[in-house]
Amino acid sequence: MVGSPVLLIAIPLLAAFLIPLLGMIWKELVRIIPGLVLAYMMVLSASLLYYVLENGPIIEILAGWRPPLGINLVFSPLTGFLTTIMTFLGFIVWLFSYRFKRNVEFEPAKKYFIFLMMLIAGAVGIVLTGDIFNQFVFIEIVGISAYALTAFYTGRNAAEASFKYLLMGSLSASALLIAIAIIYSQLGTLNMADIANNIHLMDPNFKVIALILFIVGIGIEAEIFPLNGWAPDAYTEAPGPIGAAFAGIVVKAGVYAMVRMVFTLFDVSGATEFLLIIGLVTLIIAETTALRQEKLKRMLAYSSIGQMGLVFVAFGIGTVEGIFAALFLMLNHAIIKPLLFFSGSYLVFNSKDKKIKEMNGLGKYMPMTAAFFALGSFAIVGLPPFAGFWSKLSILTAAANEGMLLIIALILMVSVVEIVYYFRVVNRIYFFKFDKASTVIPHKPRINAVFAMAVLGILILLIGFYPDAVTGVLHKASDDLMNTQQYIKNVLSLGQTLTN
Amino acid sequence: MDDKIFEIMQFGVYTASILLILIGLYAALTKKSLIKIVIGLSIVDAGIHLLLVAIGYINLGTAPIFSPGYEDTASKMVDPVPQALVLTAIVIGFAVTAVALSLVIRLYRHHHTLEIDEIKNLKW
Repeated sequence: MVGSPVLLIAIPLLAAFLIPLLGMIWKELVRIIPGLVLAYMMVLSASLLYYVLENGPIIEILAGWRPPLGINLVFSPLTGFLTTIMTFLGFIVWLFSYRFKRNVEFEPAKKYFIFLMMLIAGAVGIVLTGDIFNQFVFIEIVGISAYALTAFYTGRNAAEASFKYLLMGSLSASALLIAIAIIYSQLGTLNMADIANNIHLMDPNFKVIALILFIVGIGIEAEIFPLNGWAPDAYTEAPGPIGAAFAGIVVKAGVYAMVRMVFTLFDVSGATEFLLIIGLVTLIIAETTALRQEKLKRMLAYSSIGQMGLVFVAFGIGTVEGIFAALFLMLNHAIIKPLLFFSGSYLVFNSKDKKIKEMNGLGKYMPMTAAFFALGSFAIVGLPPFAGFWSKLSILTAAANEGMLLIIALILMVSVVEIVYYFRVVNRIYFFKFDKASTVIPHKPRINAVFAMAVLGILILLIGFYPDAVTGVLHKASDDLMNTQQYIKNVLSLGQTLTN
Repeated sequence: MDDKIFEIMQFGVYTASILLILIGLYAALTKKSLIKIVIGLSIVDAGIHLLLVAIGYINLGTAPIFSPGYEDTASKMVDPVPQALVLTAIVIGFAVTAVALSLVIRLYRHHHTLEIDEIKNLKW
């Protein structure tokens, strides 16, 4: 073992608060430190995941209080897999934005990196923690840093988008806190495994109320249908790399918290069907709305919401295959959507309205960026040689095995809509004449940005040609989520523990 | 305290906390002024904190601290966990309110108004 899971939360938090001090010594440290920290986290998380796949989950006890009394961290195949994706993506976002605001000012760059580190620390915390109140605290850490990052640009309507996000986020966090109060008053515990163990003792009415409040509280981060009003504005107004971080890191943490509630904590019957229905509604509404968007980032935001809807449909199928497909789609979305955001933010660079119209004929002037955007578009709609194909295929097979033909039909129909709006953009980039009235200034991406995009592009091709490279991990992770009894046993009887 | 009176008191506290939550929700959802919306969010928080503390209270409870002369009173101590939760939640609520107010200041500088109807560049 190379280190303990708690370092994945402690180190980025420490780095976030040390950045301003280190910046006083040498300004370049503000940019270098986050990269070093994220690279370390990525290596640590990947090596812990490798260890966990061989030897079973690690339960780490914090501050010497054993569960169910104290707070514990659970590093299982599922949480380890998600942490690895998040830290990897955090590193890619750092790489892309290394020279961010380089020539402008020192102050904004400092704040940007502080909040980025806090965002990643919070998201990793949501996934690793085994205590619901601790999870609430991490959700609020993610929330506050996300509000601040959304409002990053003073010139645009960023403050308005951020206030909207804050209003929804704060009300849903209140719902979460009420749910925690109800569970504590009924069961007298906050530990997830202990709750899962005793949930049958709870009054059924209170159980349903608590589950609904949980779904409202977490759904805001997971972008499920009635609670995703903040997403399009926040994605549009936030800096480009932050859109990628929202899609790849924050939303993944929200989805994890949601499925953990539904699959492990609560034994309410019909909860998976509820996920299925809410996923379908989210999918259909988001994809049809994306079709009508004129701004590039708004379109990408709605597409991101739609993909999360598809993830919930896959989870809602309720079988191990369904969960496998959902996790596969989460992985693919986490590498494809950032590529689209990165290349997209270069394609509409310096444009005032960020309209899709302004991208006409850019394929000639920015060949590399346009190629990355096209690759991302092909991958996300699920064309065969790319990564997105396998996840969509596994969702359809999982649904077919359960005989859900109507759902297959709906997914395929929505996929056609998805193809239409992505290919419309690619068509404009390559086959339209460059518009002289456009305010887009074609310019070359910086070398670090090219590198970040190239890594994602290579991964998309790699997973597309060798899906077996990841399926082993995904199978173990999906078994891990399904096996509630094993989770309870691991945490409460402490199979393999680490005490600080 | 008499058990009967305690029950009535407890019912009163629960009712008050739920009323506070509802008042805060009403303010946050219907008021047009940004400041009033932020106040509404704070009132919701206060209601939830009251609810949490009320859950942990027991009749004639003492503070959950072991001190000389009180070693045998563990059964009469109030539950310390909700109090710890409330302390944390207060800090989080403070942070959210601070961020919200700084956003309100930014919006006011940009639009010279606090009315939410007049700040509508994005679709609500």
